Amino acid sequence: MTEVTAPLAPPPELRFRRRIGSLGAVRAVWRSRELVRTLAERELRARYKQALLGLAWALITPLALMVVFSLFFNRVARVDTGGVPYPLFSYLGLLPWTFFSTSVSQGGQSLIQNIPLLNKVAFPREVFPMASVAVAGLDSAVALVALGGLFVVYAFIPQPTSAWVPLLLLVQVAFTLGVTLIVSAVVVYLRDLRHALPVLLQIALFATPVAYGIDFIPGSIRTLYVVLNPLAAVIDGYRRTVLLGLGPDWNLLVPATISAFAVLVLGYLLFKRMEAGFADVA
Amino acid sequence: MSRRGEIVADRVWKRFRADRRRMLLRDELQRLGARLRRRGTTGWRWALRDITFGAEPGSSIGLIGANGSGKTTLLKILSQVMYPYAGRVEVDGRVGALIEVRQGIHPDLTGRENVYITGSLLGLRRKEVAQRFDEIVEFAELEDAIDRQVKFYSSGMQMRLGFAVAAFLEPDVLLVDEALAVGDAAFQQKCLERMRAVLASGTTLVFVSHDFAAVEATCSRGIWLRQGVIEGDGPVREVLSSYRRSIEEAAEAAFHVGGVIRLVKAEVVGPRDGPAATDGSLDVRLVVESHEARSARVFLGVSEGPATPIFVLRRDVQLGSGQTEVRCSMASLPLPRGRYYLWVGVFDAPSGGELLDWHPATRFDVTGPDLDQVPLGIARLAPVHVRASWEVG
Repeated sequence: MTEVTAPLAPPPELRFRRRIGSLGAVRAVWRSRELVRTLAERELRARYKQALLGLAWALITPLALMVVFSLFFNRVARVDTGGVPYPLFSYLGLLPWTFFSTSVSQGGQSLIQNIPLLNKVAFPREVFPMASVAVAGLDSAVALVALGGLFVVYAFIPQPTSAWVPLLLLVQVAFTLGVTLIVSAVVVYLRDLRHALPVLLQIALFATPVAYGIDFIPGSIRTLYVVLNPLAAVIDGYRRTVLLGLGPDWNLLVPATISAFAVLVLGYLLFKRMEAGFADVA
Repeated sequence: MSRRGEIVADRVWKRFRADRRRMLLRDELQRLGARLRRRGTTGWRWALRDITFGAEPGSSIGLIGANGSGKTTLLKILSQVMYPYAGRVEVDGRVGALIEVRQGIHPDLTGRENVYITGSLLGLRRKEVAQRFDEIVEFAELEDAIDRQVKFYSSGMQMRLGFAVAAFLEPDVLLVDEALAVGDAAFQQKCLERMRAVLASGTTLVFVSHDFAAVEATCSRGIWLRQGVIEGDGPVREVLSSYRRSIEEAAEAAFHVGGVIRLVKAEVVGPRDGPAATDGSLDVRLVVESHEARSARVFLGVSEGPATPIFVLRRDVQLGSGQTEVRCSMASLPLPRGRYYLWVGVFDAPSGGELLDWHPATRFDVTGPDLDQVPLGIARLAPVHVRASWEVG
């Protein structure tokens, strides 16, 4: 009954290798754009079907933090905002931060929350973290409304140098997507990390110049700092261009951009590598 | 060049970790510590070994085998959800897979939203899904429920939705994994009909089921997996019968009969003391031994496999102390050619308490005509030979 005629192990030359060409990868992602949209819609619908406050949630998170920062942090630390009202200063930092933290916390869990799908249907798995990032982007768009409100309240006009914003946005999205891809894939294999995620993000919030300015970081380590945390340069860039009417600080933005795209590329490769085993452990 | 709907599996191997590891950081750290102290064992278990087969577009394969023989793993590799450890797999075209009942169904969304999501997972555009939407709803018999959240569906409704989506979105390859068991009999029949229609339109079907009749009705070819190895590959009837024989032998060996009384002899005799034959007489001779005289109820049954009997006969008898012979004669045996099992059970007459377990006592072969084949897509329940004459004109 138990005798089996096949050999006990496959010859090594048979080993299955998955080849992912960079062009093929881009094409696969492009082909699944509709899927990303559908999944993002699903996430939004499922969310707002239950939450009565609906889209308001997207506003509440950054606004609440802004109020807390203004009431407590600013009193204690006396942040140098370069003459800009502190609520505006901190809210502009909270927008990219909220985008990043929502993406990482939602997208990081997107794979394990969709394990039934991972197990059954074949499609590029990166659509889940990508959909989470897309949803976080929509939240950010909603949160922009409050930014407009703050400009009105403080009778402040965005500077013409705001034209740099699209470039900063690109760096912000690249870094966020890269981190989200890595976290989502690693969490599949190390599921208890998901419980550590909120704490890590909380620490990261205070390690990033959101409540304070980048001049808080000693100038000698500032380059290293933005390489490790490109968001710092992005947030600083937004404040300089939108609020202060200055150009971006290229000494910081260039290394941050390189680092952000390196994270994206490495994150994607890591994700693709780990993807092959998702169904085995799901 | 490969064609749409073609399947090629070439020396496919797949292994899993033998330990049931949890995917947790703290467990990994423990294991790492154990390995550093050279105490860890990282065992692997082969789920599939050297699987090679090909399927032409439009062919239908029934995948059979015991639980844990690798059927679902093979389906997952074919659907490209899982990757093999070694070997090569090529499946050409769009793959529709119904591997579990709630395939990709999101409980918080409505049936309608789920149809669209599954559609885009299968690589269809919204427009293409919209074209088939009404058909899907009609087939799944959901009507108004399609706009209700799926978490309020019964498991039957979820299964119907899953099957309808997989079968109506026109896949080139359809993989179905014993999901039909959830539906009621009428819907199962509908599914089989739909699979036949899908086959007729040129889709390749791989069907995993423990329902032999359904496999026989739907598939022309059978592949039998045993412990991750292909044990048989050929016309579905031949593969099914050799698989059936192997489980019968295993079941027989595993039977331990206890009870108050003992079956000394069980014999099945056909016409003129020869082998059993279709439409011939059949004598069953039992000898049972009891310590005391008692009234008992004797059951006889005949089955094709180790499962449910085709028919059962019952008689209340008076057993003496010591051995008693019980004979049962049937005038005409309504079974076609094949191998059958005689089941015996003895129960206390008024109380129904068990005196001798219901168990397969012996097997016998019947000579005679084969059963006429059923049309494709129709499942018959049990083999019964009916003498019939035809007139045409």
